[in-house]
Amino acid sequence: MELLLTNLAHGFGVALSFQNLSFALLGALIGTAIGVLPGIGPVATISLLLPITFGLPATTAIIMLAGIFYGAQYGGSTTAILLNLPGEVSSVVTTLEGYKMARNGRAGAALATAAIGSFFAGTVGTILVAASGPLLTQVALSFGPADYFSLMLLGLIIASVLAQGSVIKAIGMVVFGVALGLVGTDVQTGQQRFTFGIPELSDGIGFVPVAMGMFGIAEIILNLERPESRSVLTNKVGSLWLTKEEFRRATPAVLRGTVVGSFLGILPGGGAALAAFGSYMMERKMSKGRDQFGSGAIEGVAGPEAANNAAAQTSFIPLLTLGIPSNAVMALMVGALIIQGIQPGPRMVEAQPDLFWGLIASMWVGNLMLLVINLPLIGMWVKLLQVPYKYLYPAILVFCSIGVYSLNNNVFDVYMTVLFSVFGYFCNKVKLEAAPLLIGFVLGPMMEEHLRRAMLLSRGDPMVFLERPISATMLGIGAVALLAMALPALRKGKDKALAE
Amino acid sequence: MKINEKDLVSGLFLILIAAIGLWLNLDHNMGTARRMGPGYMPWMVFWLQIVLGGLAVLIGIFGDGEKLLRWTGNEIGAFVGGIAVGFAVFYILKPMPGFFGQTYNAVGTAMMIGFLVLCIAPGWRLFGLINASMCLFGLLLEKMGFFAALVGIIVMSCLAEREHLKKPIGILGTTIFLLIMCWFVFIKELDIRVNLWPQL
Repeated sequence: MELLLTNLAHGFGVALSFQNLSFALLGALIGTAIGVLPGIGPVATISLLLPITFGLPATTAIIMLAGIFYGAQYGGSTTAILLNLPGEVSSVVTTLEGYKMARNGRAGAALATAAIGSFFAGTVGTILVAASGPLLTQVALSFGPADYFSLMLLGLIIASVLAQGSVIKAIGMVVFGVALGLVGTDVQTGQQRFTFGIPELSDGIGFVPVAMGMFGIAEIILNLERPESRSVLTNKVGSLWLTKEEFRRATPAVLRGTVVGSFLGILPGGGAALAAFGSYMMERKMSKGRDQFGSGAIEGVAGPEAANNAAAQTSFIPLLTLGIPSNAVMALMVGALIIQGIQPGPRMVEAQPDLFWGLIASMWVGNLMLLVINLPLIGMWVKLLQVPYKYLYPAILVFCSIGVYSLNNNVFDVYMTVLFSVFGYFCNKVKLEAAPLLIGFVLGPMMEEHLRRAMLLSRGDPMVFLERPISATMLGIGAVALLAMALPALRKGKDKALAE
Repeated sequence: MKINEKDLVSGLFLILIAAIGLWLNLDHNMGTARRMGPGYMPWMVFWLQIVLGGLAVLIGIFGDGEKLLRWTGNEIGAFVGGIAVGFAVFYILKPMPGFFGQTYNAVGTAMMIGFLVLCIAPGWRLFGLINASMCLFGLLLEKMGFFAALVGIIVMSCLAEREHLKKPIGILGTTIFLLIMCWFVFIKELDIRVNLWPQL
């Protein structure tokens, strides 16, 4: 406990340095600004802004990206409440009650509830990360290569099981992602694999072109194809203050949402989305205002918003302790860390204490900032979300293009992004999910490394994966998860939970 | 029998890619399970992908009848034409001396012209123009400089939205605004290394 406090104090020392604080603020501001723009979710926002963090020191860059992430998520809730337009899957639930509240003239209260609930949940989530991080890291350090491999496999399985749509196709995309990750120079022999003699590919396919192409550019085309159907906000935001009655009803919902969210966020896959939905279902059954659901119940905003923010925090746990991204956003974080020359994993706590504790402290700082900057600035966000898409998409396109070029100062990356935009467009048309591919792509090289080591240690005996208890447990859970999806009843439940 | 065409196409795509991958992987030494060569992991991954692709095809065949969007003859023609013209342009430009023969300029030009050919079909217009505009950016950036490349990508991508065509003044405003913003963010603040003006 004492150690935890010392470490946290160290973390706050890092996070509160002028540079880190200002970049966290900048990140939260830009993240919110882009997050409220319709049609741009957190994944697109982060991949869009990834290049502007390259010039920063690693700790500052990650702190800024985390700020962008929280901001983008908060921005998503704002559009959900005001425009009935969820920026991402996890704020779909918010539209149900939040937009109704806005139509009843209580938009301000809904936004305030979302912000305060998120802040509270974020605080709890941060404490959880800080407390469990070092413990889990200790556990992770005892992992052998076989355990690691099985753990990553489990992560990939759960991520695809929780993806939207067909599980088989999601696993197919994970596997294809792993294959894409293998392009480049083989670490052990130095042989070039699948590079077609292109020198730029010898370091592998760039992470940014894949993410930007599939989540940035392809999204623009798809958004443009859908005719714009935004109902312009006619009613005013109204008072931000909650009435006593509202406050009394929202508080227990926030508490319940935080618990649900913290727990579900650790799961790989649709953590935040699942958390929000789980909390919504819970509120509809348990809260006092359950008879008002469907006509703007404040519990339906407070619970899910707290849950998805708690989940957003705890989803950092597997990343920081094990180096395993649990969703597409975390895959982007891994990408950013690797670009900064840091291999995420259990050694990060000791090797990069500044980064580890600084990030945790800045999570809390970031959440506080959102509360402080967002509510007073709500008028500005409302203006921003009325910007027509026809003026927005050229800006996104231009930012992606310059950003991707500045990675290596090479136009090759620009053309690579175009290829992945075509691929992303195709995937959308045939309902192949892009997020599992990204996670597989990030984990692929690490999996090969661990597989090789495990097999070398076991002298080529694959039974090692079943003999080691940790590894066997992981594989067992993975198998159960896969089998569970074969049961039609469960699959329907999942489809309902993730349906947009 | 109701075929889910999306599942079917997804499965076939996964199989096709994996088959190509396995074929390319023949060049790599497999090694043994104990000492894995560069070809071992790809071999496993691609076979797994074929199995999954096959399952997706099976599910698609006994599916719920979800259909892909029907392409009109026009769209099929533009698609085939775009690819054919793209490849033709590439092979014509590649041996040329000067700008277009250089490393990726031939690729970029070929891709851009291919995407533009695609735009002949109205259904492909958005897709073609947005991608073409990024290729144009790549082509212009190093030779013609930052500002010219930006004007290129902004104007071409704006053409994709019909409302801009009705009111071209919007394109001008967008262009000027984005030029200033990008100069401020990328040149003044982030100081990326790129030519601002044409290099003649």
